[in-house]
Amino acid sequence: MKKTMLIGAMMAASLAAGMSPAMAGSGPVKIVLAEEADLLEPCMATRSNIGRIIMENVSETLTELDVRGKKGVMPRLAEKWEQTADGSWRFHLRQGVKFSNGTTFDAKDVKHSFERIFSDKNICESRRYFGGMKIDTKVVDDNTIDFKVDPAQPILPLLMSLVTIVPEETPMEFIREPVGTGPFKLTNWTPGQQIVLDARSDYWGEKPQVTKATYLFRADPAVRAAMVQTGEADLSPSISQLDATNTKTDFSYLDSETVYLRIDHNIAPLNDVRVRKALNLAIDRQAFVGSLVPDGAVLATALVPPTTLGWNPDVKVFPFDPDGAKKLLEQAKADGVPVETPITIIARTANFPNVTEIMEAIQAQLQDVGFKVDLKFVEVAEHEGYYSKPFKEGRGPILVAASHDNSKGDPSFTMFFKYDSKGTQSGFSDPKVDDLIQRATAAVGDERAKLWSQLIAYLHDDVVADVLLFHMVGFSRVSERLDFKPTIATNSMLQLSEIGIK
Amino acid sequence: MLSFIRKRSLSSLISLIGLVVLVFFLSRLTGDPAALFLPVEASAEMKQQFRELHGLNDPLLVQFGRYVGNVVTGDLGESLRKARPALGVVLEAFTWTLWLAAITMSLVTVCAIVVGSLAAFRSGGFFDRFSSMISLIGASVPDFWLAIVAIVVFSIQLAWLPTSGTGSVLHWILPIGVLFVRPFGIIVQVVRGSMIGALSSAYVKTARAKGVKAGPIIFVHALRNAMLPVVTVLGDQAASLLNGAVIVETIFGFPGVGKLMIDSILQRDFNVVLAAILVTAIAIFLMNVLIDLAYALLDPRIRH
Repeated sequence: MKKTMLIGAMMAASLAAGMSPAMAGSGPVKIVLAEEADLLEPCMATRSNIGRIIMENVSETLTELDVRGKKGVMPRLAEKWEQTADGSWRFHLRQGVKFSNGTTFDAKDVKHSFERIFSDKNICESRRYFGGMKIDTKVVDDNTIDFKVDPAQPILPLLMSLVTIVPEETPMEFIREPVGTGPFKLTNWTPGQQIVLDARSDYWGEKPQVTKATYLFRADPAVRAAMVQTGEADLSPSISQLDATNTKTDFSYLDSETVYLRIDHNIAPLNDVRVRKALNLAIDRQAFVGSLVPDGAVLATALVPPTTLGWNPDVKVFPFDPDGAKKLLEQAKADGVPVETPITIIARTANFPNVTEIMEAIQAQLQDVGFKVDLKFVEVAEHEGYYSKPFKEGRGPILVAASHDNSKGDPSFTMFFKYDSKGTQSGFSDPKVDDLIQRATAAVGDERAKLWSQLIAYLHDDVVADVLLFHMVGFSRVSERLDFKPTIATNSMLQLSEIGIK
Repeated sequence: MLSFIRKRSLSSLISLIGLVVLVFFLSRLTGDPAALFLPVEASAEMKQQFRELHGLNDPLLVQFGRYVGNVVTGDLGESLRKARPALGVVLEAFTWTLWLAAITMSLVTVCAIVVGSLAAFRSGGFFDRFSSMISLIGASVPDFWLAIVAIVVFSIQLAWLPTSGTGSVLHWILPIGVLFVRPFGIIVQVVRGSMIGALSSAYVKTARAKGVKAGPIIFVHALRNAMLPVVTVLGDQAASLLNGAVIVETIFGFPGVGKLMIDSILQRDFNVVLAAILVTAIAIFLMNVLIDLAYALLDPRIRH
């Protein structure tokens, strides 16, 4: 069976929809970010502080995920791809593409980029997406490459959107001067001060309107907002809600962070589904929106945001029903479930805005229906100890407040880690969940979406896996001279070619 | 004098070694860098490889032995995060901090001495009350608040100065201005107190009786004798600036060593933490030697 997934030369560097090139200007932009990139290593571009600068700007990938429309996986350095009879994938590469050092892009570069990710001379972050897979790359000719992956990977084209391509000559060790095929090249990096990218005249795709991008770094959100206001910068992808007061320049956007309480099903009384349901019914989620959680935040019914494949619109948010919660607790108690055991909420200091107030309010709401709840704030490393396996012995019933980010468009990145029996942060073990994750990961097309939908409904309605709370929003300030709206991907990637200049 | 410096160097070296040993082992207690360098979803195998690559798997004593061996040859190791030599990273940042501290403290010294001395000369008068109020406010105002207010007033409302960053002389004004306020407030008080004592002493009365003018009385006769406690407090304040003005550096996006140190501790970038502590400790030692020399210069009793 030879199935062509996507054909046609779609321009990968498509500009923001609806912009007329005749009207557009061009020029330099300054972008102020909260966190400096400590490395500009292409194979670390999946880390947001690095990816925001180099991903698809300096270093490109074979495919890219359409986060503005619903086109799914789109071509970038690969023009098309197909799955062959034995389950391996063949990618046909774009011709006439040059790296910023002048060398021509071909299949050997792709092979080398993969070898580099798996090299033991470095720790490339993108390797984590290929855990448990054996990948065999074969260069067919200069513009064709085969990937034989064991076990077969139906989402390999999607995974390719995470692997940046470097030239063959790149050493295995981490580098400080990334060379890529992207529309921009690195021209200045003064640590602690700025990073400058300049547009390339020999880029294969459409010429971006941004001619030069200077990245500045300020940890304080009020300063970032002030810089755009005074014209010292043109764009700050994240400012605080308090500063977002100017409707002409300040936009909120769903930022792909989902806040939830992870329930540890292993310990009574949380092993009882009625108790888990009662937790969910006791919380007045809507009351938080517009008060402690910014307006625009969406109540969550899944750990992945609504733009993700297989997100299930039929799953409904648990209503606020304190009486219902009390009844469920009474029933459980009558059956001998120790509902009076104190439950501890473990939250992380400064994990997301207003975390303290939100958790205190949730604690109060849970206590109102009869739970005994303690609240404990811990630092990152200690939080990690509660959140990930191996869990501590003798820990007592705990709820871990956490924030999860999936802007990748496919639930597989989330589901295995959070819900599979072997998942590092899974609070329970359910064979049906394991089976659905396995089948959905292997499926393609509509079948894949259907299976993920099924899993999302089962987790929410039947298992009552956790207390899902909010898909959070972020705030950005964009100078009036720019034509740019942040998207769910803005946190991890900021494509300069999507920025228009008025 | 030379033997004095030698003795001081030796005792400082011992404290420096103690400091490095302490920080080396304490920093390791904060946890595993692999857990922070790699995302939570990373496999145990990847974390294991990270530790192997950076020698974090060996027993602590082996790691320490290797570290000491390298430090002796001048190699302070590589930053885990930045993949370049830790010493280079620290020196880059420290240069910024050193300039910031040097300029701020010079201004503070001159301004505080003048204001404090004049206040003491007419103790209880209008200028004294006014400067006491200003210095009290200066010594107690929180710097993060002052920094934000300064940005709102001078950058946003008046548009005179850039909000933050580096690049021109104008960029230095707000950070220095904000850093100036607290040490100024404290030192004005010290100068005033010390000067009131000196001005009421017998030799000043004699000078007045001889008809010496106010200027020479304050700045020649009294000041030199009043300077010893001032130098001590100046040294103290300068040392806290050399450790890095974390809040001011963070708000103004100034690439100094204070912010670097905090970030490195949070990221468990041990080599950078150790290098930063070594460099600032040496700088503070040098400054203390300078202060001792200043004592000797000011007070012949110490010299002899």
